Amino acid sequence: MDRLIALVGLRLKLEIRSFIGRRERVASLALLLPGLLLGTVLMSGLAWLGVTALARTEPGLVLPALSAVTTAVGVLWALSPLLAGMALTETHDLTRLLVFPVPFRTLLASSLVANLLEPAALAKLPVVVVACAALGGSLASRPLVLLSGLLAFVLMLATAQTVGLVLHALSRNRRLHDLMLFVGIGLGFVVSLFPLLLLSGGGRTAGVAVRAVLVGDVFAFSPWAWGVRGAIHASRGETIAAVSLALATFLALLSVVAANAVVARRLYEGALELGPPRGEAVSGRRFRLPGAVGVLLEKDLWLYWRDPRLKAMLLTSVLSPVVLLLLWRGASGRPSPFFLVFLAAFSGLGALGGNAFAIERRGLALLFSFPVDRFAVLLGKNLAAMTLRLPSLVALASVAALLAPGRLLLPVLATAIIAMLMGAATDNFLSILYPTPVPDPGRNPYAPVSGSRGLTAVFVTGLLMMAALTLASPFVFLTFLPLLLGMRGLLLFSIPLALAGAAGAYLLLVGGAVLLLERREPELLARVLAEE
Amino acid sequence: MDQSGRAVVVEDLRKNYGSKAAVDGLRFSVARGRFFGFLGPNGAGKSTTIRMLTGLLRPTSGDAVIEGVRLSADPLGVKRIIGVLPEELPLYERLTGEEYLLFAGRMHGLSRAETEKRAAELLQFLSLAEDAPRLTLEYSQGMKKKLALAAALIHNPRVLFLDEPLNGIDPVSARVVTDLLQRLTRNGVTLFFTSHVLDVVERLCDEVAIIDRGRIVAQGSLAQIRAQRTGAQDASLEDVFLKLVDADVTRRDLSWIA
Repeated sequence: MDRLIALVGLRLKLEIRSFIGRRERVASLALLLPGLLLGTVLMSGLAWLGVTALARTEPGLVLPALSAVTTAVGVLWALSPLLAGMALTETHDLTRLLVFPVPFRTLLASSLVANLLEPAALAKLPVVVVACAALGGSLASRPLVLLSGLLAFVLMLATAQTVGLVLHALSRNRRLHDLMLFVGIGLGFVVSLFPLLLLSGGGRTAGVAVRAVLVGDVFAFSPWAWGVRGAIHASRGETIAAVSLALATFLALLSVVAANAVVARRLYEGALELGPPRGEAVSGRRFRLPGAVGVLLEKDLWLYWRDPRLKAMLLTSVLSPVVLLLLWRGASGRPSPFFLVFLAAFSGLGALGGNAFAIERRGLALLFSFPVDRFAVLLGKNLAAMTLRLPSLVALASVAALLAPGRLLLPVLATAIIAMLMGAATDNFLSILYPTPVPDPGRNPYAPVSGSRGLTAVFVTGLLMMAALTLASPFVFLTFLPLLLGMRGLLLFSIPLALAGAAGAYLLLVGGAVLLLERREPELLARVLAEE
Repeated sequence: MDQSGRAVVVEDLRKNYGSKAAVDGLRFSVARGRFFGFLGPNGAGKSTTIRMLTGLLRPTSGDAVIEGVRLSADPLGVKRIIGVLPEELPLYERLTGEEYLLFAGRMHGLSRAETEKRAAELLQFLSLAEDAPRLTLEYSQGMKKKLALAAALIHNPRVLFLDEPLNGIDPVSARVVTDLLQRLTRNGVTLFFTSHVLDVVERLCDEVAIIDRGRIVAQGSLAQIRAQRTGAQDASLEDVFLKLVDADVTRRDLSWIA
């Protein structure tokens, strides 16, 4: 029992530490607890209002609607380790405990109990209780309603834990780890598109689809829905159906726990070894581009392409403006010229905040150890960032060419390039003044580090964004001047002139950033390596 | 200080973190072509000193001259003539070993052909050729160390700063590396070397400095230090070291171990 308590305590401590940074512990706690409470109150309120309103207006939809909601939550929770990269964190890592002489049952029990006691899980418990209360029913049926609801909740937690454990086991193989990371970020991107879809007029189509799903009650066979369906039947006094569904949920829970035990047992016995993390040889020699700028550019491009996290971010950055453009069109027909210019500037300015040195992480010490002129370093980093944004601009231009008047295509593209140049140039200042600290060696290189950029950096980012827009505006104006004057032929002169002017301004800004970098290089390094 | 014949001259170098002095006014020099051992217990200031001497950490005060190039005046000039093997190995994990060496060579200004030639030789020499096309994130600690050493050597530096270069390297490779390092000193390269393995230091170094709590507590040839500090020429470096850093190695037995 002592070992069980110690293990559960360890898990809880790790969970809390993943929320709370070292330096801002008190401040984080002050934000975390009210945040959790507020979220619980809001969700409980929503659950109460949703269930009672549905029962009053569409009583026939209560069963299918709540089945759909619990299934959606269950699936999202099951995928949450993937979506949040949780499969790769230490909380699911039983292997760290294998060196201790802990009996398997204790290890398994600690894992399950700690999962139930997670602050984030406990915060959702009142929501379940309130939803069950909202179902109503006689006083005698209430215990069965609550029991069924709680069984559904525990089943969701257990499934998420089992999936997390499986993903963690698989992630010990680098190829699978990379694949899961890539898929997880892609899924996260797709999920994040739903609100946009609803806001942009796609809601009507989605509404029809949802109604069809509800009328067909397609989630009746989802194990996550059985508990809730049991609760609804119990509230209606249909005891036999309620007890049957509660039993089915319990059996599903036992199966999931058994699956969890099997995976954990194989880990415990060292049988779940997917082989050493050796990938295939990477063929071909690199670094064909000339000079230090070319070498840096090529290096960054390869690092982006080979890192699943960076690659997924790159692909989502390509898709984001296109999706935005298509959704906007869905809402209001043809995009206006103003919207296109705004979208081009927004896409280009994405270079600001990209953090020129972020990809280096601890390698920044290595980069600064080379005797390379700092102008070349910044130019190489900016060129890489801009090259990586080019596919996004090409995609945007292609869609704009299909949707917008042809005369706007070149000026819009030029606007995006000008904004990108100014964004990259100003980002250098941000990267030098407010670098992002990286985790200690041996830790997840992508984990957040306390004491990172801070609120001042947010304020300065805003200022720099304004500065970048201000700097870009005369060149953008020059680009559009022929259209404003109704002399389209002049675009052939105005666009190259505007681009050349923007390039000149960019080089001047990089020169200024180099002076700053030369003064602050060791401090920058100390801050990135969190040694200050 | 007369700097002729000196590869490294350290002038009152100091680094404070808040009120704590990590390095407290170091003054010493290293003759050209020497195998110089820089020793000290954990937290004594060795790595901080190396990072300052290689231009990766700004000293609170003081300066250094490396092969006649003043660090504060021309940090890039210093980086051109030194090679660094840091204690932490910030390799790019998503480059292969071979790509990493090609990158390092090109960043030091070598031509592509010359870089490729030297990279191939180094990979062969350090028994990394077979694993050269693999990503460095798949390398063992010893392989990473050898790769970082190869990157530090690829531009033929005049001064090499090596922080624990033999940690994690297998005995065969360790022998190959130490032979190489000795050959380099014979060719006039100066080695600034830290290690906790005092037997290795004793075997390789012409001269050592011992740092404790940010200050040099002894410097000279091994014979000089032995004679000064213990009065016995045959005392081991470990005995001298423990005496100099005032180490208390006496412990009561653990209560549960008979």
